[in-house]
Amino acid sequence: MIEILVLLTMGFFVVMIIHTNQMRLAIVYLAVFSLLAALLYLLYAAPELAIAEGIIGSGIVTLLYLAALKKNRVYTVGVVSIPSRLKVEDHYMYTLEGSEALKDIRDFFVRREVEVQVVFLDIPLERALDNTAYDLILSDDGKQITAHTDEDNYVMVELELMIQMRGFGGSIQFQRTSAGTIPTHGAKKEATE
Amino acid sequence: MDNYDSLDDLGEESLVIQLMIGLLYPFMLLFGFYIIVNGHYTPGGGFQGGSVLATLFVARYVVFPVDDTDSEVLHTIQKIFLAFIVLIPMAVLFTEVIHQLPRWQSAYLTLMDILIGVQVGFGLGVAVLRFAFFQGVGKTWHL
Repeated sequence: MIEILVLLTMGFFVVMIIHTNQMRLAIVYLAVFSLLAALLYLLYAAPELAIAEGIIGSGIVTLLYLAALKKNRVYTVGVVSIPSRLKVEDHYMYTLEGSEALKDIRDFFVRREVEVQVVFLDIPLERALDNTAYDLILSDDGKQITAHTDEDNYVMVELELMIQMRGFGGSIQFQRTSAGTIPTHGAKKEATE
Repeated sequence: MDNYDSLDDLGEESLVIQLMIGLLYPFMLLFGFYIIVNGHYTPGGGFQGGSVLATLFVARYVVFPVDDTDSEVLHTIQKIFLAFIVLIPMAVLFTEVIHQLPRWQSAYLTLMDILIGVQVGFGLGVAVLRFAFFQGVGKTWHL
């Protein structure tokens, strides 16, 4: 009886591994799957195998995958609201998360199998642009979302192309800064489309 | 890198992972040697305990990814242990010493478990380190 329960739970986790979008979650599900397999071996009276499965499956393999994921580049998208009276609060985040622009950007990175994290910033735009931790800065002035990217960043060029092709060009405006120089808010050239 | 603000910094290691692995590290070491030493009369043994020891290398890489371990030295130690794993059973079994000294049988098994454990631990550890710090061409190792 309990064996069938464990097997069904393992099947559930296999489906979860395949259907999750975030690789980190898939790794955690894989570790849980390995632990359940170890429990199953224990129920079938094979403790040696259970120890080996538990250690290698949920120990070494999980940590190795995490190490491999660390080599994988994570794109960090910072979101700045231009009028600073717009406080970064929960309902503001939900509104922006539900917007077409951010959905498109997430979709773009998921298609390219690149991990993306969106960070809401409570700092002025100039400071966000100076910070090298963000690959893409979105600024929201209430009506329009502007994307600030490097000139040489081909990923962002592709992103711009995809958004233009899908017909959402009106919702995001792109602004390029030349790479290498520290961008300041005044000295920026507008990219004409 | 130089104008990172501490508040906006996202490149740092996760504090949760650092603390948990730091807390678990001695227990993992103890657990590995427990499995190795008790391998001849409880489940476990050289391979399983050695895998736990290899997990330590990966855990250290996850927290502190600096290539300061000379994997050549680890590889040489692993080869020496592998030679002992072949030589000691030949010396003990072919001369039939073990049948004349039955009291020493468990000691012999423990010794073999320790040898296999260290060999597997260092072997898997070397494999993991080479995977983790492999930078494409340029830095190569001799196998």
